Amino acid sequence: MKINILYGTETGNSEMLCEDLESEFGDDHELEIMNLAEVDPADLDLSVFHVFVSSSYGDGELPASAKPFAEKLEGSDTDLAGLSFAIFGLGDSDYETFGHGSEQLADMLVKHNAKQVGPRVIHDAQGDDLAEDVAFPWFAERVAEAEAMSDAA
Amino acid sequence: MTRKIAIIGAGPSGCYLAQALLKQDATVEIDIIDRLPVPFGLVRYGVAPDHQGTKAVSRQFARLFERQGVNFIGNLDICTDAHGGDISLDDLRAIYDVVVLATGLSSDRKLGIAGEDLQGVVGSGVLTRAWNDHPDSKDSELPAPGKQVAIIGNGNVAMDVLRILSKQDHEYEGSDFGSHHAESIAAAKVERIEVIGRSPAGMAKFDPVMVKEIGKSAGLKFEIHDLDFDAASDSENPKIAALNGLAEIEPDAKRCTISFRFGWSPVSFIGADGKLNALHIARADGSETLELPCDMAVTAVGFSDDQRLGRMDLIESAADLDNGRLGDGLYAAGWFRRGPQGTIPDNRSDSQIVAAAIAQDLATMPESDAPGREALFARFDHLTDYAAWQRIDEHERASCTEGRLRNKLRTRRDMLKLALNVTETTQ
Repeated sequence: MKINILYGTETGNSEMLCEDLESEFGDDHELEIMNLAEVDPADLDLSVFHVFVSSSYGDGELPASAKPFAEKLEGSDTDLAGLSFAIFGLGDSDYETFGHGSEQLADMLVKHNAKQVGPRVIHDAQGDDLAEDVAFPWFAERVAEAEAMSDAA
Repeated sequence: MTRKIAIIGAGPSGCYLAQALLKQDATVEIDIIDRLPVPFGLVRYGVAPDHQGTKAVSRQFARLFERQGVNFIGNLDICTDAHGGDISLDDLRAIYDVVVLATGLSSDRKLGIAGEDLQGVVGSGVLTRAWNDHPDSKDSELPAPGKQVAIIGNGNVAMDVLRILSKQDHEYEGSDFGSHHAESIAAAKVERIEVIGRSPAGMAKFDPVMVKEIGKSAGLKFEIHDLDFDAASDSENPKIAALNGLAEIEPDAKRCTISFRFGWSPVSFIGADGKLNALHIARADGSETLELPCDMAVTAVGFSDDQRLGRMDLIESAADLDNGRLGDGLYAAGWFRRGPQGTIPDNRSDSQIVAAAIAQDLATMPESDAPGREALFARFDHLTDYAAWQRIDEHERASCTEGRLRNKLRTRRDMLKLALNVTETTQ
């Protein structure tokens, strides 16, 4: 299946996770990885399944590379109806704003009529698991759901 | 022909630079060199020990060495001839095609006021390196935490110092803060911490999230002075909102009072018999002065150059400082290039800019037969490599006490024992 993976990053951890997803799933799917900083919401291909990976930064804000995308989307009437997406967060449960970055992004996409597939899972920097250990099974499940949806359509 | 690149400084800027350079040109051969036997610089020795989430960025850097073919060369001191060291910068340039200086700025900026050399006054860099068990830090040079502490400065480093002095021992679970430090702070039973900032609260340098975090520790009572000093102060300002949040905390059992003062400048440290006992502060216009009793004062007013690489001259004569070009085959990145402003992510963007400039220059650089690290290993027998770091890392993780992530080796001697005298065993 064709899947676009879009990351919002501040320190590079989300970008690294996307590269890991590519090495793990790139043989089975047609993956394209993009920095959200270089994506215009109006140009999203609504027929392609999108996976977003985003950290939080500062006081629960979006990471720097996701901000221009979010600002463009928020101030526009871009209709994302038809777009299916899943979203994975990176966070630090030491802070009460744990996962707020990915939450903001998810809410914004849904508000513009995109359809979220499956739960938003957040990797916790305080935990013992590595981000990829949490993200790989999550990704496989979301892709299976997206495939089932497109088969049914 | 493989280009040989040496990056001096294995901290965030140097590692991000290697990462960005490999994205531009996967054929280059990169050695990241550090003065210390172990990598990661500021991430290991500057980021607060209870901010493990921030330290997690080192996973990206580890990957450079573990998967991306970058070499780590530790325990090699590079400086100008005037400063001794193992090898001069000029000699290093002769054996590499490209040398990048990414050693940061590690010296504490001085206030330049009377009494700064009194016993009890310490720079935040010296203090946080000690708290992070930096091998060059000597506990004997550190003042014991006092009952009354003054922190001068309002940035995130000042907030790190404040948080660590005000947290309780049990709150360090899951960190790598040495128990000896936590115990010595607990034993001091700090009663009052004064935090002095020159700017109005709404313009203070700290990030609000850092201030909110301090309020999570139990038993702290906060006094926020001078909010009205800022004519434009309003509760919508996230910095002021964070301070107001602290002011509302009513502890069940108060163990320490933390007082924030804004719009004050330090005038002098006052002491007797060489020991600090008060800090004298004043309004910028001299309209008011205050004397705050304290037996420990921490200056957290920024960082400066240790001059070992002759930074000032290099920066002044730089060909294109905006893109990190100092001279032929010589570049600078991170704080070494820009000065002491910006966080770890800022240095990531900075390194990407410098990497682009290097990649561009490599395209037209004449061919060379620079030997690179072979020449270093032929000349020195005390260098450490990434495998040595992995042995140290494994040892530190295995030897840690309950509730901690690692127990850092605190001396070069202990590090080098593990790094260099390896007996091969089969398992």
